[in-house]
Amino acid sequence: MKSTILKQILLTALLTGSAFAATAATRVGYVYVGPKTDGGYNYAQDQGRLYVQAHVPGTRTMMAENVPENENVEQVMERMIHSGATVIFATSYGYLDFALKLAQKYPNVVFMHCGGAKTAANLGTYFADMDQAMYLAGMAAGAATKTGKLGFVGAHPIPQVLRDINAFTRGARSVNPEATTHVVWTGSWSDPGKEAAATNSLIDGGVDVVGMHVDSPITVIQTAEKRGVYVVGYHADDEKFAPHGWLTGGYWNWGPMMASFVEAAEAHTWKSTQSNGDLRDGAVELSPFGPGVSAASKSRILQTEKAIEGGTFSVWQGPIVKQDGGDVVAAGATLLQAQLDSMDFLVRGVVGSTQ
Amino acid sequence: MHAAVVFLAQLLLAGVRSSTPVLLVLLGETLTQRVGVINLGVEGEMLVGAAGGFAITAVTGNPWLGLVAAMLAGLLLSGAHALLCLGFKVNQIASGVCVLTLGSGLSAYYGAPYVGRQIAGFANPSGFASMPALAPLLAALTPTVVIALAITPMIGVWLYKTRTGLIWRTVGESTEAARMVGIKPWRVQLAGILAGGLLAGLGGAALSVDYTRTWVEGMTAGRGLVAVGLVVVARWNPWLALPAALLFGGSEALYLRLQSLGVTVSPYLLSTLPYLIPLAVLLGSYRSARRTGGMPQELTSIFKGVQ
Amino acid sequence: MTEPSVLRRYTVPLAAGVLFVAVALAFFALNAPAPFAVFGAMVQGAYGDGFALSISLVKATPILLCALSVALPARMGLITVGAEGQLYFGALTGTGAVLGLLHAPAWELLPAMLGAALAGGALWGAVPGLLRARLSVNETIVTILLNYVAIRLVDFVVYGPWKNAANLGWPATVSFPAAAVFPAFTVHGTTVHAEFLVACAAAAALHGLVSRSRWGLSLTLLRSNRRAASIAGVNYARNAVAVMAIAGMLAGFAGIMQAADVQGRLQPDISVGYGLSGFLVAWLAGQNFLRIIPLSLLMGGLTASADALQLFAQLPFASTVVLQGLLFGSVLALNGWLRRSKA
Repeated sequence: MKSTILKQILLTALLTGSAFAATAATRVGYVYVGPKTDGGYNYAQDQGRLYVQAHVPGTRTMMAENVPENENVEQVMERMIHSGATVIFATSYGYLDFALKLAQKYPNVVFMHCGGAKTAANLGTYFADMDQAMYLAGMAAGAATKTGKLGFVGAHPIPQVLRDINAFTRGARSVNPEATTHVVWTGSWSDPGKEAAATNSLIDGGVDVVGMHVDSPITVIQTAEKRGVYVVGYHADDEKFAPHGWLTGGYWNWGPMMASFVEAAEAHTWKSTQSNGDLRDGAVELSPFGPGVSAASKSRILQTEKAIEGGTFSVWQGPIVKQDGGDVVAAGATLLQAQLDSMDFLVRGVVGSTQ
Repeated sequence: MHAAVVFLAQLLLAGVRSSTPVLLVLLGETLTQRVGVINLGVEGEMLVGAAGGFAITAVTGNPWLGLVAAMLAGLLLSGAHALLCLGFKVNQIASGVCVLTLGSGLSAYYGAPYVGRQIAGFANPSGFASMPALAPLLAALTPTVVIALAITPMIGVWLYKTRTGLIWRTVGESTEAARMVGIKPWRVQLAGILAGGLLAGLGGAALSVDYTRTWVEGMTAGRGLVAVGLVVVARWNPWLALPAALLFGGSEALYLRLQSLGVTVSPYLLSTLPYLIPLAVLLGSYRSARRTGGMPQELTSIFKGVQ
Repeated sequence: MTEPSVLRRYTVPLAAGVLFVAVALAFFALNAPAPFAVFGAMVQGAYGDGFALSISLVKATPILLCALSVALPARMGLITVGAEGQLYFGALTGTGAVLGLLHAPAWELLPAMLGAALAGGALWGAVPGLLRARLSVNETIVTILLNYVAIRLVDFVVYGPWKNAANLGWPATVSFPAAAVFPAFTVHGTTVHAEFLVACAAAAALHGLVSRSRWGLSLTLLRSNRRAASIAGVNYARNAVAVMAIAGMLAGFAGIMQAADVQGRLQPDISVGYGLSGFLVAWLAGQNFLRIIPLSLLMGGLTASADALQLFAQLPFASTVVLQGLLFGSVLALNGWLRRSKA
């Protein structure tokens, strides 16, 4: 009995944090906007955490999931810092301003934010060109469609999502110039009921390949599989959810990137940068092909992948034409990074609105 | 012309499909309110049904067992509502909010390990390939849709044409009158609450196990609470439950469809339709059926004020 | 409603507190290896130091205001669950004023912002009040539906016309100017925002008004016997609209404070279920405005401790939601049991 009480007291001390700070290991905090098992965005980030834990000796990670993009995230990160975290991964776009605020308050903590365009002395950002993979997935979709109608379920019309839809459409039209992409916005990063309804509405309208950009792709993938149409994945390799309809997709591979940040922080060589990964360095990967991709389509896609990795082809080289026919970039030129970060238009071939 | 017919038929099917979880909850809440009890907790009961049904399906691999588990989960949680408002005579709205909170907490807490799990859903209806024209129809008629469409008239007939249905309605109109003809009102009210919980749990599973094959916390996103409002729209009449549920599901299907056709109204504004349309119907119908208009009399005392 | 005896006034909250501790320990015992330690972590995470206290106060303020906006209509028998929607709509209209007067000095901006927020909240509350009074449409149902509408309207403006283009798609308005921020001060490491004091003052004022004024009596009369009230010349419709409008103002004030002081701009997710927590608090307090204050602090602490429990005890965020439900249920049951045993 006595020992139980003692254990309780000991645990209380442990739980309330003071004991953590004393340990020598680098403590790395991760904050996720959704559940880490969502088979999507947060899952990919958490895979990065597990990689860091396994590959960077002497680190211990902690994580908090389902943290909304409001003052809550500031509180969670601050609690992590109080219990000894010296590196914090703020993995959701909406965490940026809160992380910046804390970066100012805690100059000795390294903050890494996913996808942001602002930095500070102790806040860097990391992202990767998923649009490269989405272009390739679009090629697979364009080759596989029989109706010529592709569908896309988007959460919100923000630049990152518009980039994916445009890349997907450009990829599709590079092999199938008549293909169109029909876009439905659910207005929520996570609402499975609406995602299923949106997928169904696209399929009812004649779409036979569906892509998506929501936090957890698995509802759209499974709905497409159930309705017997093709699907391209996003965020994570979710082929098991659609063994018949799976074409391919893009997924994040954050581990090596994250490990390099943590190692640099441990070695005190970390510098604030905007790190951008891509297909070449493996931060973005193309998912394995499913049965719906023909051999010819496969070789064409892999060829383009090589060209992208080799730097001889860019997803965003002109000519790029908007929905309404307005020119964005003429032939021979390429969109600039700043234009990609602030993309607010859909390209020709997309049916849908950016409002 | 042909295109318009196809569009409307598809819209109807899509509406039925996305209305089914709401329809089941709505039927259950209609039964509960018919015995003179209102239960806002159906949102929580729906959530434990969605989580419990999904978890059992994931563990056993059998979606039918998942549906049974969901009904049990909803029923158990509605027992808390019964205990509070029948046993302890707590205000029903307050008790309902308590059950709602408990349900969303419990489902998120114990459902967390199942987020992202893959489940074996119901098999696709056979004959998919041989009848492509009927494919959308067959795809729409998943087991929970069929169950919901089948029990709607059964509940309607039962409530209006059978002896026990009359007993339930009597209790809802006046527990005093019921007592005088030898009915124990609390038993009937208990049954009404539990029936509502059972159907709310099933509605949750219709969403998680059947419709989306996904579980994530809070996934009902207010569908249960809206169903409570739709009971009033349906004037406590199970026969009107389907059209009332379609108001919600249909307007959701409509606004998603308008987008894929290239209509350029903000999806955020369009997404208020599933709430504004039932509200408009509520106001419209109140004009004609002011005050009583089908509301069980026992409920009026609850709606009249705080106890 | 008869005044409870002195004895009951103290024993009931005490019993409820003991009950809560027991229920929480039982829940932790079922779910964690060291229930006492987890309970300690929860208390520590809510009130353990200045940092924790500051967070708890930030959460307690909107909960307090939402609870008041539930309790006032309850005085005349109206049951509203609309605080969440009123909070969002007040934030929306208040933000509209800020965006229109971005460069105005504080003495112009603050009153405009507050006025617009209160008006917006009042509108979102008065509509169900009016429908109730004129068409006998149930206010509980209407407030539920209007909640969702208001939340989506905020989504609309922050993703659409009011989005700050410099945010690169992040759905939020521009940051509010310093002139729109309420003062805050720090006592022993605990940050106290002025709106918390305003909310407490509102609770005290409502308590005084309702327990002492003629108006307070007429509300009680309307609840207990509407016909007698109308014979005595108390107008149901006017009071229903007024009470709901004031309720809306309180929640609308909470909304604009979330935008201006907590987030520093309008964005989605300005509330994490404060409307619902407010409902729980109002009922835990038995619609007593003064008792709402300590209970809001309790509920705010519980909400704030959620991330501590997740970080240090690996319990999902939802653990505190379960505790809220258990606490609410046990207090409701306790009160019900006492009322019955007394009868």
